[in-house]
Amino acid sequence: MKTINEVLKEKKEGLYYGNRVLLPFRADILKAIIEKDIITDFSTTHKGAQYSVADNYTEIYFHDYKDLSDYISKYETIKLVVVEKGNDIFDLNNHRRLILHLKENHNLKIEEADGGILFIE
Amino acid sequence: MKKILLYSLIVLFLACAVNVNTFAAQAVSGQTEITQTAEHSVPPVYMIAPFVLLLAMIATGPLFYPHFWEKHYSKIAILLGAAVVIYYMGVMKDFKILKHTLSEYLSFIALLGSLFVASGGILIRVNKKATPLVNSLMLFTGAVIANIIGTTGASMLLIRPFMNLNRGRLKPYHIIFFIFLVSNIGGVLTPIGDPPLFLGFLRGIDFFWFFKHGWYIWLPTVFLVLSIFFVLDMRNKERNEKEEFTGKIEFKGIKNLGFLLIILISVFLDPAVMSWVPGLSPLPIGVREIIMFIVMFASYKYADKQILETNEFTFGPIKEVAYLFVGIFATMIPALQLIAYEAASLKDAVTPGLLYWSSGGLSSILDNAPTFLNFLSAEMGRFALDVNNKMDVYNLTNAHPVYLQAISIACVFFGANTYIGNGPNFMVKSIAESSGLKMPSFFGYIVKYSLPALIPVFFIIWLIFFRG
Repeated sequence: MKTINEVLKEKKEGLYYGNRVLLPFRADILKAIIEKDIITDFSTTHKGAQYSVADNYTEIYFHDYKDLSDYISKYETIKLVVVEKGNDIFDLNNHRRLILHLKENHNLKIEEADGGILFIE
Repeated sequence: MKKILLYSLIVLFLACAVNVNTFAAQAVSGQTEITQTAEHSVPPVYMIAPFVLLLAMIATGPLFYPHFWEKHYSKIAILLGAAVVIYYMGVMKDFKILKHTLSEYLSFIALLGSLFVASGGILIRVNKKATPLVNSLMLFTGAVIANIIGTTGASMLLIRPFMNLNRGRLKPYHIIFFIFLVSNIGGVLTPIGDPPLFLGFLRGIDFFWFFKHGWYIWLPTVFLVLSIFFVLDMRNKERNEKEEFTGKIEFKGIKNLGFLLIILISVFLDPAVMSWVPGLSPLPIGVREIIMFIVMFASYKYADKQILETNEFTFGPIKEVAYLFVGIFATMIPALQLIAYEAASLKDAVTPGLLYWSSGGLSSILDNAPTFLNFLSAEMGRFALDVNNKMDVYNLTNAHPVYLQAISIACVFFGANTYIGNGPNFMVKSIAESSGLKMPSFFGYIVKYSLPALIPVFFIIWLIFFRG
């Protein structure tokens, strides 16, 4: 199982299928921004978004978007605030701001927000 | 499906472009009666229903049924527009007004689209510490630039640098005062500033008329709204994310700046403004629009991809404007005719103050472009002038400037009152939200910001310039 740092360093990509996103690390999701939706409620199973952490990946379902590629155009992104599983969620230094780009063949490019793209936690 | 509908509506419009020439030929051969009858007939009142329905849905859709609206707005706009076009073709046989409307729509979308795409390929970064003074200067600069590249262009160009500047201390009021000043109030000095003024320019108002009759209202309004912002920003004690600043202003996308310049020059390439510019009749577009469409294509194709990525550029907002306005332009034809017809009987009941508050009130909740034309039409009807006649419009601007001044100022300024008052408002809100900033609700915006900050300023403007 890779850590977020390893994923970013190795430029390992995630996957997306329809409204499902698969991230190659284990993390808790604090906030997801897709289009103009700011999602912080992950408690419901039919509205907004829902995530679960498996043994070696994290998956997110965006319930209000049937197919992500219909909504996220070439230069748009999905933004996430995450905390690596096992790290102290209450330590703000552990909050990572990630940017996801939808690529061809269901690939998902993962980058850390570096100050280029605006991202307010 | 929506593409088929759009193409069908354009084909209908184009059919009118051809038919209008047939009518012209008939006129030459002595059959003038039909054309004249068509030109002066008035549609039945129920024909404004598509216009009212469309505006009502534009106002309520994004708020109360966003997912349905997002999915179907284009089809709704096109179908409602098509209903009016078919009525004018089949029942009223008035092809001239349809061709005129098509030309106006294409001019409108060419300007807005080219400004939107060209400014999307420009990146500005201000590496300074955010202070109330720096923020106010940036907002003032935005208000000035809005007159050169339009409120849409200026909003697109400056909202991200403004948000970046305030990283770590960014609050919703920053975005809202940006909407007030850059996306609305700023753009009252030129026809490029805001779509309603550009429609006025297309109808015959002199390019510099708005500056001549607007700057002494623009300046105190901008100053007053900036003062309120300054006080609010003084109370924000949070600091920028980073501590060190180079003080530099980084500018990327110089090619697109060149494209913006071409767009601005091409605005004047109208046979009515420069006699040497060829008219391309019977085509519904002119040299100006062709240049703008080419610039739109080129500024996207040759833009720096890194900048587009950083700006998260998408055609979404401009596609939305293109679809909605094809419906608005078509459905507002009967409304414009009816208002002009009815206004002729109102005579002295219409005062500058009444025009200011009523056109402003409607511009707050409806799109300000059709509102402007409706009120211009009403005012001209009062003087037995025709809004479709460029010379009549020109005469109004000289003979009764205060009326046009009231409508222009109100339509542009009051567009800031709500998220739906002007196109860029929603775009700016979307950019802020897609960056993670939670913005106030529709009513939160009005209650917390518009009512306490804007309405008193607009009241003062009325008191000084339009009372009575």
